[in-house]
Amino acid sequence: MWQRRAFLKAAGVGFAASLLPGRAAALERAELVFASSIETAAGGYAAALVSETGALIAEVALPDRGHDITFSPLTGQAVVFARQPGTFAVVFDPKGKSPPVTLTSIEGRHFYGHGAFSPDGRLLYVTESDYEAARGVIGVYDATGGFARIGEFDTFGTGPHEVLLMPDGRTLAIANGGIETHPDYGRTELNLETMEPSLAFVDAPTGELVGLLKLEAALHQLSIRHLAVDMRNRVWFGCQFRGVSGTPQLVGYATMDGEIRLIELPPDQLGSLRNYVGSVAAGKGGEMIAVSSPEGNTILAIDAATALPISALALDNGCGIAADAVGFMASSGDGELVGFAQGEVTPVRMNVKFDNHLRRVI
Amino acid sequence: MQKLCLAAVCLLFAGDVSAAQLPVRQVIDRAVTEYIQPAFTELDATASSLDTTLDALCSTPSEATLSTAREAFKAVVVAWSRVEFLRFGPLLDDSRSDRMLFWPDRKGIALKQVQQVLAEEDATATDEVTLRQKSVALQGLGPLEYVLFGTGAEALGNGAPFRCAFGDTIATLVATTAKELVTAWTTGDYAQTLLAPTAEATNFRNRREVLEALLGALSHGIEAMRDTRLLPVVGRDGAVPKPKSALFWRSEMTVPALHAGFLGLKELFDVSGIGLAVTADGAWIANSLDFEFGNAERAFTAITSPIEGALQAPDQMRALGYLVILTQSLQTLLGENLSAALNLSVGFSSLDGD
Repeated sequence: MWQRRAFLKAAGVGFAASLLPGRAAALERAELVFASSIETAAGGYAAALVSETGALIAEVALPDRGHDITFSPLTGQAVVFARQPGTFAVVFDPKGKSPPVTLTSIEGRHFYGHGAFSPDGRLLYVTESDYEAARGVIGVYDATGGFARIGEFDTFGTGPHEVLLMPDGRTLAIANGGIETHPDYGRTELNLETMEPSLAFVDAPTGELVGLLKLEAALHQLSIRHLAVDMRNRVWFGCQFRGVSGTPQLVGYATMDGEIRLIELPPDQLGSLRNYVGSVAAGKGGEMIAVSSPEGNTILAIDAATALPISALALDNGCGIAADAVGFMASSGDGELVGFAQGEVTPVRMNVKFDNHLRRVI
Repeated sequence: MQKLCLAAVCLLFAGDVSAAQLPVRQVIDRAVTEYIQPAFTELDATASSLDTTLDALCSTPSEATLSTAREAFKAVVVAWSRVEFLRFGPLLDDSRSDRMLFWPDRKGIALKQVQQVLAEEDATATDEVTLRQKSVALQGLGPLEYVLFGTGAEALGNGAPFRCAFGDTIATLVATTAKELVTAWTTGDYAQTLLAPTAEATNFRNRREVLEALLGALSHGIEAMRDTRLLPVVGRDGAVPKPKSALFWRSEMTVPALHAGFLGLKELFDVSGIGLAVTADGAWIANSLDFEFGNAERAFTAITSPIEGALQAPDQMRALGYLVILTQSLQTLLGENLSAALNLSVGFSSLDGD
């Protein structure tokens, strides 16, 4: 309960007052609050705050389909990014004091659906594509100055996807998926034969490369997409295999010391991921890692210490995963919210479609 | 292992929606035997014929043999357009799809390489073995179109030995690939992996996964048509149309190839009966798809000129723009509505690449 009070304090009385009466009551009752992009029952797109009981607390309309949401606990600002190759991001203010602000990607760049705040919430780092050069960049935005784009630096790869800030507060971990796309051809993947994914550690204040890690050359079609940090500050990653045949391992971890390795999932569980990991999340304290596959309708929880799977959930279209107090909460494209791996949430179904990522904000 | 009851329902899914009008087993059977296998057989027949006409052109160059070869090329383009969206199994193995057609080619790699081969009269490009070892951009329908219809192609009618030998070698490789495809689908065991999936299989473990592949091919086929064939040419958001960004503009096959692609998607949808594998509540989806495919057909009847002229004629340009809108509607109906009605995961959270 203290968490809700802390959130309400951070959000300010204006937030609760701005909600419709039913939604304010839902917030009052909520133990946990999650944010996700959704498709609404009416077919529109929004960023939504929902409670663990499936109550819709708030939603911010979007011009098109959103993807991940990043949140600064310090400032309370949240940003939802358009699904790649997107051209907008919407900053919304849970304090309810200012209307949402829409950012548009600059000429020659598009967004990749993910971003991360600096620890003080003053800067926003966004994965973007310099598509004429097939070069990934991190766009840097001033969160204190109307989100003006104040610079960019290289991701040292092509097709950057998820970015997160390491616990040191200055190093960005960037998943360079390796896949070239171009707005002229929509989501068509243009370089599957020659793709070269990597995981880059980049020093955010200087833009300098700290380390660039790649899997062995034979695995060059294993696109590194999604990331989470465990209790030892190792970066766990989930991959999508873009090759034709075979079932390579899809989950691994990397360290800032330069180690990168795939873990060995048993064949039946690896098979259930169908060569596609759509989201990676760390549990509370980073002792458990969850990976999801909406292709395989499967979510696995992995013990970070032993690298062994400890729990599995079959969930149609399941992709969003976020830590709750002890385990995980999962969301699906069919509107389900389910607790797993000791997660406490009783399954509920909402009349929305959840996008691939779920973030806990309370 | 923890398995929650709510979600474990999907594990029980044997491929059928209860009370569906058509069992999934029949949908798969019809798709394979009544569309996929005949369509690849047709590709093989046209490609084999193309190879023969190139032989004749090179041995007896004339306006007539050139014309015959060009017509044979067009027939292959049509047959190819009806199968290219079946991007699983044999078409992806051994880079066959790229060997048949390297596209999109944003940087114009194929054109540069073809022009270089012709300028240098590179003899290794007139040998099947050595050409096959070269870039896929030099091997398929793109470079063959340039040989038969590009700058300097008219010389083929009077005898242009190197150019013709290069074209003949490409045609042979195209025929070889088409033969491999039809063999894999008809006499190999690939069809069986769809018709009788097993839990131990690495590609399809149950009928549900086969159905996902079929519906995914339809949905992604429509998406690719919009993103790689229509929008780059028509222009996004009011941009200036680019006729020379069109596939097969030299042979004036841009529109016929698009049309064949639409017809192929519609025919697979129709003959498989995939729209009937839902309960009566979902019957509207097939009706809507019929309606939208019908709208597409009417749009094609309005496009009477080759692509360059069509982009300059307001009525035809409108029809092309309308096709873009229809692809969006068809993709939603297939990838979201029908996918949901079939209890599949083709749609919302599992589009490739996120």
